[in-house]
Amino acid sequence: MSLKDDFPILSREVNGHPLIYLDNAATTQKPQVVIDAMSQYYSNSNANVHRAVHTLAGEATEGYEDCRRWIKSWFNAEKAIFTSGTTEAINLVAHGWGRANLQPGDVIVLTEMEHHSDIVPWQILSEERGIEIRYVPVLDDFTLDMEAYAVSLENAKLVCVVHTSNVLGVRNSVDELISLAHKAGAKILIDAAQAVPHDRIDFKQFNADFMAFSAHKMCGPTGIGALLVKNDAFEQMQPFMGGGDMIESVTTSGSTYQTNEHKFEAGTPKIAEAVGWSAAFEWMSEIDLPAHHERLLNIAKWTADQLRELGCTVYGRHQSGDAAVVSFLHPTIHSEDFARFLDAKGFAVRTGHHCAQPLLNRLGITGTIRASFYLYNTRQEAEKFIETVRHIVGKFA
Amino acid sequence: MKYPQALQDLIDEFAEIEDKMEILEYVYDLSDEVVEFPIAKWSEKTRIMGCQSEAHLEVVVVDGIVELRSGADAKIVQGMMGIITIAINGRKAEDVLQLKPDFAQEMGILNSLSPSRSNGFRNIFDKVMAEIRMKQ
Repeated sequence: MSLKDDFPILSREVNGHPLIYLDNAATTQKPQVVIDAMSQYYSNSNANVHRAVHTLAGEATEGYEDCRRWIKSWFNAEKAIFTSGTTEAINLVAHGWGRANLQPGDVIVLTEMEHHSDIVPWQILSEERGIEIRYVPVLDDFTLDMEAYAVSLENAKLVCVVHTSNVLGVRNSVDELISLAHKAGAKILIDAAQAVPHDRIDFKQFNADFMAFSAHKMCGPTGIGALLVKNDAFEQMQPFMGGGDMIESVTTSGSTYQTNEHKFEAGTPKIAEAVGWSAAFEWMSEIDLPAHHERLLNIAKWTADQLRELGCTVYGRHQSGDAAVVSFLHPTIHSEDFARFLDAKGFAVRTGHHCAQPLLNRLGITGTIRASFYLYNTRQEAEKFIETVRHIVGKFA
Repeated sequence: MKYPQALQDLIDEFAEIEDKMEILEYVYDLSDEVVEFPIAKWSEKTRIMGCQSEAHLEVVVVDGIVELRSGADAKIVQGMMGIITIAINGRKAEDVLQLKPDFAQEMGILNSLSPSRSNGFRNIFDKVMAEIRMKQ
């Protein structure tokens, strides 16, 4: 039995061809155990969490908090706040930590490689608070300009940087980025959306102050993610969403808040999604992630080489630690046409700016075709992909 | 809905094609059907927002008769423009405004008619209709 058999969607056909799903950097598919766990939750245990004393509420609370235990144990983290995903996690830092700790004239350091989710919240805060944003350039070899980074840290209060680029697959020198930020007295937020599917990060050893990621990129459900926070940064945060569940008491003259992660989880949370995410963690705990990562990177590297031979430009380097993401363009066939032809043959790939327009501007392009590989993809699928690309190039170039 | 004959003929032709790749190849070929809209005239005003490709159009209404001029850097998107050109050019604006975008699904060229970043056809169709309403 292959790993692919755990994913019911991968046995379907698209346009008369077996589905070959290569849009994993956007979202991964879900194993049957995740689908079953969510269905089981709604069939047997659905209730609201934390408040009621009845049995179902207890089961729902257990299911929800069990996921937090999984996250803390998986990442060796002190505090794990549930969010709707990476985007909300970053916004939580911007509004929960940034508003409470940044003053006009303070500096935030971003990079040209960031996803829009790690740019726009800071631009909003910058406009509101008069905060200066500096962008670390991307070099021609697709890495960050570390000399410019060191210079940009002067008077910086916060660094926000992507661990692994969703466009290039390049893994940044995160250890160095974190260490230099701390030496400069700045806190650092790592956007780990593309990293956690491939790499089991030890948050304590990693030593970042904040780390944001989503469940759906690691076989879990959509609509849930987490923000990991070091204890000292956690104490500096203020809630930016008020409502049920996050309070200790409410009177007409004011409210007091919970002191744990619930303080930042106003409203009925994503309970079924948390239950599903736990199932994904359990499923992934049986997987040899480093071995798969190496296998997938080799597939990506092979695919990139083949695409170059077919006249395509590949944006990425596929070195050790990088994600199995292949962004490319053909000189004469438009990326959107290319992706539609691929879809007609059963391949799911992504085109466009991948929510990283500053990076694409830096690269002098407006979009790429992106094939991204995950645990269930095989070398045979990559070979079929290249065979189809060759056919498209032969016909339309 | 009863479609104009030229569009109905096109729908019938598409109906005979089952393979998605062949459907796309046909749309690709229909990119030649557009009335040219020179790149020099492309501007923010003529841009079709929400398209992944660079796609532009203008609609001229003279004596109540519609002419769509258009172009895109993605051939399939321009092919969709070609289809709309066949559907509306030379027809009365009031008749064109009765047209619904459902024919694209009948042709099998779209998975969904919902407006989205990937739905070039819907974005083109909506802009054409908006321009006609404005210039009628």
